Amino acid sequence: MRRVNFFPRRRSDCLLAMACVASALLFSESLIAQQNDSPFQSLKVLPEVFRSAERTVRPTLVTIESFGGISAVAGKIGGIRSRGEGNTTGVMISPDGYVVTSTFNFITRPPVITVIPSDGKRRIAKLLGQDKIRKLCLLKIEDVQNMPVPEWVDAEKIVVGQWSLSLGVGYGDLSPAMSIGIISAKNRVGGRAIQTDANVSPANYGGPLIDLKGRVMGICVPLSPGSQAVGAGVEWYDSGIGFAIPLSGAGELIERLKNGETIEPAFLGVRSMLDPDGTGVRIEEALPNGAAKKAGVLVGDVIVEFDGRSVSNPIELGTMINRHESGDTVTLTIDREDADEPLQIVVQLGSVPPPKGKSSPLEPPPIR
Amino acid sequence: MIRAHVKSCFRGGRGSARAKKCRAKARTEPRPPGSEMPPGLISAYIIVAVLLTLTIGSKCPADQLSFLRPTIESCQPKLVKVFGAGAGRIESYATGILVSADGHVLTTQGAILDGRRVRVLTTDGSSYDASVLKRDRKLQLALLKIDARTPEHFTLGEQSVGQKGDWVLALSNAFRVADKDEPLSVMMGIISLRTSMTAKLNSRDIAYQGDLVLIDVITSNPGAGGGAVVTSDGKLVGMIGKIINSSKTNTRLNYAVPNATLYRFFNGLQEPDAAQKNGVQPGNIAAVDLGIRIFRLGGKRDPAYVDRVISGSPAAAAGIKPDDLIVSIAGVKIGNVRQFEQVIKQPTDGSDQILVVKRGRKLLRLTVSTGEKGQ
Repeated sequence: MRRVNFFPRRRSDCLLAMACVASALLFSESLIAQQNDSPFQSLKVLPEVFRSAERTVRPTLVTIESFGGISAVAGKIGGIRSRGEGNTTGVMISPDGYVVTSTFNFITRPPVITVIPSDGKRRIAKLLGQDKIRKLCLLKIEDVQNMPVPEWVDAEKIVVGQWSLSLGVGYGDLSPAMSIGIISAKNRVGGRAIQTDANVSPANYGGPLIDLKGRVMGICVPLSPGSQAVGAGVEWYDSGIGFAIPLSGAGELIERLKNGETIEPAFLGVRSMLDPDGTGVRIEEALPNGAAKKAGVLVGDVIVEFDGRSVSNPIELGTMINRHESGDTVTLTIDREDADEPLQIVVQLGSVPPPKGKSSPLEPPPIR
Repeated sequence: MIRAHVKSCFRGGRGSARAKKCRAKARTEPRPPGSEMPPGLISAYIIVAVLLTLTIGSKCPADQLSFLRPTIESCQPKLVKVFGAGAGRIESYATGILVSADGHVLTTQGAILDGRRVRVLTTDGSSYDASVLKRDRKLQLALLKIDARTPEHFTLGEQSVGQKGDWVLALSNAFRVADKDEPLSVMMGIISLRTSMTAKLNSRDIAYQGDLVLIDVITSNPGAGGGAVVTSDGKLVGMIGKIINSSKTNTRLNYAVPNATLYRFFNGLQEPDAAQKNGVQPGNIAAVDLGIRIFRLGGKRDPAYVDRVISGSPAAAAGIKPDDLIVSIAGVKIGNVRQFEQVIKQPTDGSDQILVVKRGRKLLRLTVSTGEKGQ
């Protein structure tokens, strides 16, 4: 207690002082209480925020039904057999009936697909183009207008650590199931995906990953850094590692899908190893009809640069190839034994050849 | 004055974080105005001030580290660890929730209860032999009883607890991580969806008919069954059910059997759905032959295309034609031949049914009258 030297001139002053002290103390008490609560106050109101975000985007969700299709693809798709019998999710992206969803939802090649938008009316949908890299495809329903569409988050403005919610109608309810998490990383899997720890699974592939304002950050898809097979990445369902493809600014991609284009992963067509003599990737085998062979790459060549960026090992080369799609043109800088200086070889990347032997296990069933 | 405040905070405080916060608080506190008073009153003032600061000290931080801590601490004693028989790949351990003051324990039904002995460990590590009072294979629930007073228990009720988006905590002994008196594992997430099993999930998944709370906490793991799913303020949303695979998605479901279902099971009340079903008396009415013959040359996963329509049948009267694709019957989606066969075998109540068929690029809604033939 500080030694104080104060004597009030009047009693009322003293009372006033005491009242002030008491009120200051009471005030500080409520302040402390507030301060103690404040870190959690936001957590307590979040459920309402989650629900309001879901309500905002819900009219733009569609339920996709598939009719028929093959029973299961050969073997398991990433640990689960087939796709399940339930409905799948899509997002209306234009008022005139274009719907974006995931190619995974049509892994069984259904000959008939219908879409139920927010108005509850079932319509026959046409499958347009597919992007096999991003696992996205486009559906179109006819004779609709003024369909509600979502607001998109600018992909550049997505921040690692921000809240994210995944939504999907795969459990069969027209009301979507909701899972929350954060953005774990950006620029994943060839720089095309954002990563989240919200649950991503066949229940919401094709559905949106949204922010707290109900704006779409991306479309949930199965992805795997190691493989571009249609089912690759499903093994990570509900694991805390989920991916979504942002589509803000992807107008060109959407146009290509509208035109029915199929976008294939890029394939250089070489088997390679780390060059034992230095840094670079040595070609062990150039597959016949492969892009590299067509462009004149020979066995024994050492790739030192890919589009002007140095390549130090086969994994790095693979990552660089994965950033492209089939048909892209790239320039390889190659050290060849009998050449005095590095060669510049222009390669048009090809696509992954179908598996040898039997025809693709993903052939659609005969339709009468 | 300032020091007294700080000191009282220290007295009340257990952690340095709290004390630091109080100290910061004290520093910023405004000096009282009108700074002179008679010496006689100073002592009174001091007493009042000390008393006030003491109350603040004790109120200072209920809990600054976790707003969920009080919930978790109050819930842990309401859960038990269950040990029983294991067989092959079936685990010999599970979790249970206390639902009465007399030692009633709810857990999941299963082979774990088939052994000679079922053992229940309460939160303090005491072990009790449990008797199995009842088991329900349809609901996959079991009621056990231990000979102990259990004043700390969850409250069952008819009202549903928690809505979509609400925070939930899941407490369970998944993977038997907690040993003896160790507290159970706690996970956090939200309610993903409240849905109904009957229509939403395939009957092959689970015999259980009724409501279901899907959560985004991953609880479909060994030993988690019988655990509690509670709201952030500790109310029981439901009990973690057995591991089931949804045929809709081909994924494992993370869910809780809702509180209201547990309440009905505990009190021996009938499920509302079951009561409804009894009115229909399955098996007493023969499935009506609509007169649709499906194209069967393909597999059972082929779309259900109409091959032929028997003349004079309800289907013919409704205008169904060969080559139509059956899209839905009475609101049930017909994805393929197998689903058509399943639905067509279901007994009907004789009312008119809406059939949706795809003809060319159009969807048609046709009304099929099943009345005459059903009688």
